[in-house]
Amino acid sequence: MIKESLIGEFEKIVGKENVLTSKESLKAYSYDGTTSWIHEPDVVLFPTSTAEVAAIMKIANAQKVPVTPRGGGTNVSGGSVPIQGGIVLALTKFNKIIRVDKENMTATVEPGVVLMDLNMALAREGLFFPPDPQSFLGATLGGIIAENGGGPACVKYGVTKQYILGLEVVLPTGDVINVGGRTLKNVVGYDLTMLFVSSEGTLGVVTKAELKLNPMPPARKTIMAVYDDVAKAGENVFRVLENGVIPNKIELLDNWVINRIEEMMPMGLPKDADAVLLFETDGIPEAVEKETEKIVEIARKYGAKDVRVAKDQAEADRYWLARRAGFAAVFGKAPTVFAEDVTVPRGRIPDLIRKCKALAKKYALEIVVLGHAGDGNLHPSILTDIKNKDHYDRAVKAMDEIIEGAVELGGVLSGEHGIGLEKQKFFRKVENPKVIDLMKGIKALVDPNNIMNPGKIW
Amino acid sequence: MKCGFCGFFCPVYQEERMEPAVARGKNFLVREILRGNQEFTPEMGEIIGKCLLCKRCVANCPSKTQIDRVVVGARAQMVKDKGLGFIKDFIFRKVMSNRKAFGRYVKLASKFQWIFPKGEGNIRHLPDFLKALGQGRHIPTIAKTFLRDQVEEVNKPQDGKEPTLRVGYFMGCATDFIYPEFGKKVIDFLTKRGIEVVVPKAQNCCGSAIYFSGDFETGRRLAKDNIDAFKDLDYIVTACGTCSSTLKDYKVYLPDNEEQQKAYEKFAKKIKDSTEFVVDVMKLNLGELKLKKEFEGKTATWHDPCHLVRYQNIKEQPRAILRALKGLKFAEMPNADLCCGMGGSFSVYHYDLTRKIAAKKMAGIKTTNADIVVTACPGCMINLIDNVAHSKMPQKVHHLLELVE
Repeated sequence: MIKESLIGEFEKIVGKENVLTSKESLKAYSYDGTTSWIHEPDVVLFPTSTAEVAAIMKIANAQKVPVTPRGGGTNVSGGSVPIQGGIVLALTKFNKIIRVDKENMTATVEPGVVLMDLNMALAREGLFFPPDPQSFLGATLGGIIAENGGGPACVKYGVTKQYILGLEVVLPTGDVINVGGRTLKNVVGYDLTMLFVSSEGTLGVVTKAELKLNPMPPARKTIMAVYDDVAKAGENVFRVLENGVIPNKIELLDNWVINRIEEMMPMGLPKDADAVLLFETDGIPEAVEKETEKIVEIARKYGAKDVRVAKDQAEADRYWLARRAGFAAVFGKAPTVFAEDVTVPRGRIPDLIRKCKALAKKYALEIVVLGHAGDGNLHPSILTDIKNKDHYDRAVKAMDEIIEGAVELGGVLSGEHGIGLEKQKFFRKVENPKVIDLMKGIKALVDPNNIMNPGKIW
Repeated sequence: MKCGFCGFFCPVYQEERMEPAVARGKNFLVREILRGNQEFTPEMGEIIGKCLLCKRCVANCPSKTQIDRVVVGARAQMVKDKGLGFIKDFIFRKVMSNRKAFGRYVKLASKFQWIFPKGEGNIRHLPDFLKALGQGRHIPTIAKTFLRDQVEEVNKPQDGKEPTLRVGYFMGCATDFIYPEFGKKVIDFLTKRGIEVVVPKAQNCCGSAIYFSGDFETGRRLAKDNIDAFKDLDYIVTACGTCSSTLKDYKVYLPDNEEQQKAYEKFAKKIKDSTEFVVDVMKLNLGELKLKKEFEGKTATWHDPCHLVRYQNIKEQPRAILRALKGLKFAEMPNADLCCGMGGSFSVYHYDLTRKIAAKKMAGIKTTNADIVVTACPGCMINLIDNVAHSKMPQKVHHLLELVE
């Protein structure tokens, strides 16, 4: 438990209204986007400036109190759960868009800005921030940077790390540093900016970020292709790419997801299809037209049963809404769900899908596959119930084998969710011990008292 | 999975940016109560009280979580366990549920109107009247004679012919006590078009503020009063979006047994909001509706009351009427379906939040350059008038049916 006298110190720094200590408030900061990880902090603080964050960190460091930074709390790794208690540093009120630089196509933001709010503001200037974690309605930029978030648009645009030019960071000691800058090129010494991107809040608190932006593409089109074999859909992904078309998204839904979506909101997805791929192309109108034609042609050539081009934005929106609803559908259908985040090199997608299907059979389980097929990042989800021991044990075994299988195929155990608490045991299993030691060494150097989001990653 | 998307849509979270304000936080805490890990503490009461019940989170929840039911259910359990707070108890049980006494108190309060700011902004909802004093807001002008004392129980079609329909008119408190002239206008609108309008004196408050606060016992009593008052009619029409939704939703929130469930369901089928009644039941040729002279050449924008757009899915009907009115220009405001911040008694307990939420609505209205803000819920009207006045904006606020001859 945190010392009573510290609460008074914190109230002096951020103001009484920005310190929560009631039992009810602490419970409301005991969870993140997962269902499995819950632990209450001792206090929740809402700083609104770099100076306030630095002052808090100085006290926490001196008193060796754990600090867990938290944005929208939409993460699905347990990463923002204060597993050792202490302080939750809620950055949701530290949320100004400081500057949008149209000429240089950059933006300077505070960590609590919600991605959707940023993109709405940027749209007015004809710009956008391309990385698109699907939690964009709640995820904050600080969290997106700390988790190196990504989403469907990765196929064409990449992930967060490709759009971070510079950061202001408060270190666990309370010192404030600036890494990177505002330029596109920057090779001044070690690239420390990337140290903080995907650090999962274990190395410091991002208090300001310089973002690289893209011009908003004036046109986009959505194509839906239907397959009678999910592995065929997987093959279609790289067939499209090898033919020179890079859609901005290629998403996959399997038969199970299609049927759940149709139950929730009937929209004419073919219920007997083994898999559906959703493509989106974006760019200047003429290019979008050409790319769309090409995708339709290739999909037909390589075995798609049916290919539809959304005739207007409303139809396209319906398809993408369905894609987003897919994840919710999975979670609504079983008491416990393992949402995997394995990622394989794109060409191995059919192998990974086959592996999942075989495991479902072997362990008599429901394994649902949906995800960002365009970048090899699938989310095989295992439906189970933690209270049913036999079933749960089989699910755990299947999950272990999916991860092992993905690594054997040259992939990684997490594409975009991060390790946090959820994937620690796999991290230890598949990561080289020397690499883990190096990471721990960096952590000890930056955070000598181990107060920054302790208990995560390894 | 606890995705937390609700935060983006929650007007309260958008202001507070703290987890207990948002649906995900409330849902988690109520679940803790159900698990026996959390008591109904005063803080818990504060948290589940701080919800507008605007249902924006419900409408946008990927898992379709019915947060409104979670919140209302928790409030009801709390009332059962702990009793209503003193002021709510006094108003809901002793005053509001007794129509005559309610009227008396409102009258009494009306004697003190000279202490409130004058002008068009003299508006405020009544149930929590006394508590609302002294918060710097514009208080409603109470009518000298209530609607109930001005109209007959049976109003025949004006053409003297056999009525095409017999409908009950549900006044609602705001129309009865503050806008009786508007109430008469509604009756006139219907009787002019061959409809017999019955205004049962025995009708009571719809119960919105009461059962949404968790007082189901009084809520059921009011439901019974109203069901009894409106027997043997084809439809029951009301021009208050909150009332129509509240009457329809007895079946959603209040049933305690199968008999009640059936009675409430049967009752719900007869309820029509005035906007849907005009378009879907009367099927008026909207092009023939005549705009009142005073509105000619004006630009109107539409505010979607939560109780119409999300509770009843009434979105197109009012817009169809506005677009059809010749001589009126219609300009859609951004975020038309954003809650105005009133939330019934929410605005009494959290007036500062109401003002902040309403400021966003005002910003939307400003972009349209409209002369009038049109809606179909006296609750919203009260709040919109208050905030238009505070923002020193030129717009007048009107009920949709006020525009039509």
